[in-house]
Amino acid sequence: MVKVLDFERVGEQILKIAERQKADEAEAYLVSNKVLTVRLVNNSVFEAKGVHDIGVGIRVLRGGGLGFSSTADFKPESLKKATKAALDASKARKLPFKYSFPSPAEPPEVRGVYDTKLAKLPSDKAVDLAYQMVEESLAYNRKISDNAGVFNLVVYHMLVTNSHGLKAKDAGTFFEASLTATAQPGARSSEGAEATAGRSLKELKPREIGRKAAEMAVSGLEAQPLKEDTYPIILDPEPSASINGYVSFLCSPMIAKLYYPLFLNKLGKKVGSEELTVVDDPLMPMGIGSASIDEEGTPSQKITMMKKGVLNNFVYDTFYGAMEKKHPTASGARTAFAVGVSSFPGKNYNGEPIPTPRNPYIVPGDWNREEIIENTKNGLLVKRFHYTRLTNPTRGDFTSVLRMGLYSVKKGEVAGALKKSRLIDNFLDILRNVDAVSDTLTVAGAWGGYAHTPTIRTKAHIAPV
Amino acid sequence: MQEDLALPAIDYATKLGADYADARLEAHYNELVTVANGKTERAVVNQKRGIGIRTLVKGAWGFQSTTNLTKAGIEEATNIAFKIAKASSRHVAKPVKLAPAKAYRDSYTAEVKVDLEEIAFEDKIRQFLKWEKRLHASKNVVRGLIEYTGIKIAKLFVNSQGANIKFANTLTWATSKADARKGDITQSYEQTVGHAGGYEIFEEQDISKVASETGLKAASLLKAKAAKMEKDARVILEPNYVALLVHEIVGHPSEADRVLGREAAWAGTTWWAGRIGEKIGSKYCTVYDDPMVPKTLGFYRYDDEGVKARRKVLIEKGVLKGHMQSRETAEEFGVKPNAGMRAITFEYIPLIRMSNTFFADGDWKYEEMLEETRHGYLVINMRHPSIDDQRYNWTISAQEGYEIRNGELTTHLRDVQLTSNAPNFFKSIDASSKKGEIHPLPGCGKGDPMQALYVGNGGPYLCGVATILGGR
Repeated sequence: MVKVLDFERVGEQILKIAERQKADEAEAYLVSNKVLTVRLVNNSVFEAKGVHDIGVGIRVLRGGGLGFSSTADFKPESLKKATKAALDASKARKLPFKYSFPSPAEPPEVRGVYDTKLAKLPSDKAVDLAYQMVEESLAYNRKISDNAGVFNLVVYHMLVTNSHGLKAKDAGTFFEASLTATAQPGARSSEGAEATAGRSLKELKPREIGRKAAEMAVSGLEAQPLKEDTYPIILDPEPSASINGYVSFLCSPMIAKLYYPLFLNKLGKKVGSEELTVVDDPLMPMGIGSASIDEEGTPSQKITMMKKGVLNNFVYDTFYGAMEKKHPTASGARTAFAVGVSSFPGKNYNGEPIPTPRNPYIVPGDWNREEIIENTKNGLLVKRFHYTRLTNPTRGDFTSVLRMGLYSVKKGEVAGALKKSRLIDNFLDILRNVDAVSDTLTVAGAWGGYAHTPTIRTKAHIAPV
Repeated sequence: MQEDLALPAIDYATKLGADYADARLEAHYNELVTVANGKTERAVVNQKRGIGIRTLVKGAWGFQSTTNLTKAGIEEATNIAFKIAKASSRHVAKPVKLAPAKAYRDSYTAEVKVDLEEIAFEDKIRQFLKWEKRLHASKNVVRGLIEYTGIKIAKLFVNSQGANIKFANTLTWATSKADARKGDITQSYEQTVGHAGGYEIFEEQDISKVASETGLKAASLLKAKAAKMEKDARVILEPNYVALLVHEIVGHPSEADRVLGREAAWAGTTWWAGRIGEKIGSKYCTVYDDPMVPKTLGFYRYDDEGVKARRKVLIEKGVLKGHMQSRETAEEFGVKPNAGMRAITFEYIPLIRMSNTFFADGDWKYEEMLEETRHGYLVINMRHPSIDDQRYNWTISAQEGYEIRNGELTTHLRDVQLTSNAPNFFKSIDASSKKGEIHPLPGCGKGDPMQALYVGNGGPYLCGVATILGGR
């Protein structure tokens, strides 16, 4: 079994094999990704599950062709076979542009991305911490009848090495914790949820998560039906993180070109309001997506994707940078979005780098969150999005279920909870209608996707379901 | 597969004190290729072997996977699976119990005519590039895309009750997508062909022809009219659209773990929890989940708990009949397990998943449905869904549509999006056609961490009522 300590040796071995097999250039991306998941169901710990994924992704260049393969088997014959598979793939993938793997460069230091206490957290302690969310939710109010949630703990190590002498290492820790509470004192029922993520154990506050989820659930018990209309909507961090997530996703040139062309050919054009500036900053200390290098070993850098509503930049790894003759922005991420392959949080060696923002966020504005509420005469406060989709990726039709945490805002005050509703609008209109951004970033998200995000206000059509 | 690797894990777990243990030893070979506009965007070969060990200790589950297939590595993983189950058992309100299941010993293989590895990877890429060219069948096509996935899995399942099942599966599919543009309007169209089987699918279903149709469809949508909002419109849903609809509003809510609130954290719950035996739809509303349909993406004979597969009746003539079950949920419901458990790889714990979920055939001809419609819409080909947490309210976009007037297709429509509530829609179904289809749906997501799985979905043409949203 290969250990992290052996990564350099295995990396060198792969580069030698590739050289012997007549590769012009080679790269090995070695990953150890440990995930512990504790699932909470029906007020209990339902299951605890772990994975320790160790493997290598191999990229080769030969005769102007690029190939990739991966393996979790480090025996010499398997490494040879995997390298050959990458070389075979390179035969039919001749690049119509000049491409070379990145050269070595000194990476910056990024603080607060690896926490020994989190890395060494014993599994029984992790189970207990996860269960504290349930305990606190049940203790908050007797009307709480059910809780479900998850705690994911990730520890990763990676090494990228290539035939230019690049040898870059990175290690990180990460947790995500979430709880959905149900209040059901009788026939009525209402849900509440809270979710957060962080890089260190000191950021984990399971009891706060449990209490906030329970608070939201209880506050929804007297929910009234909503009247269909177009409203000013205040998006608290979780739905705001979802908007940020879509903006960032659309800023990948690969996504724009192949799947969701909403931002394609819009560089330099206004796609959002003056209030909206979106950056990708993997240098942020303790940032959810921060790291000193990207996943092809390029030193991290900050980039502005949208400036005052104008689409400023797409993000680039070295491959897409070479293809589109753009300067790479250290945005190579090995995201596994293929079916039948790993999709664990943390690092993944099964895929080639693709250009992806790594720690994107909406830049805070000059509003206090409370000021935004006070300044809203007749609108809605939205705390959660559910099943959010761009249902028409070319035109921007956008929808989300406002499953819980929906409140009316009247004369500058949160007036009361509203029943489940659906947002149906256009994504570009939502961006153009942003008229307030709060001054504080909070970590929020759902189902594996988290970001640092402010509260924002925009306008959207909302209908009851 | 090497039983000498998997069986000791079970013995060791039992020795540690596990009440039950199972292990899945698997070897995976995956090919993923994306070609677009004459270029290969991505070409990936992944290989992986490993084992996932699941233990039940004092009513709590523990699971650990590893790629370290040495005796020490497997023992370490088994130890962790036992230890975390034991730690979890301190916070279990209702201990897990498993419904009895016969311990089968069997071996089977999905039928493959052309093995994926028989054709050189580079030759495949050349073919994809050729097919991608066919997408540019119209000068208005500005982007073409072929995405291919080929998966080979060799799996050995063993458990502490004596089950020993070997399964060799191959799954092959490709999606062709074209974007067409004229002036400010961009329209896209996509179609997927795929099956449980080898590379022969692309000849059998003539993907070259599918690609050129896809290109022409995208271009034809440029001349189509944008759909307009119409409340409670009469709709005829074509089988590919029905595939996504049945997936979202029957398949997911039929997962018994979801019914029991176990997916409440993210995915949600089910509006029909506790309503088995109730009438929820019209007599045309019959839905099955059936893993025993060969050549489909949802094909298997035993699930990942070793339970023998059979057809599950989910809804019969409008009456909610049953759910997809694991051994554990079957015990809770007091029914027999029906082989609903699957995991995408050895790295993941199995979950209750769809196999092939589809509306049953009816007694109408499509032409008759059309003739009977004075004013309505034909809705064709799935695009994107957004469904509420109880699978009650749904919004699903389609790739194209036609207005129907006096029994004839008239105006071609783009930007079609439907919405309704599940019970209203089920009750509104007043006709279903004779010959259903099962389509490949390769990206069904569930679980935390997410497991994107391949399933089959479909049905015949269905007539019902839903609101056309159009676009905003």
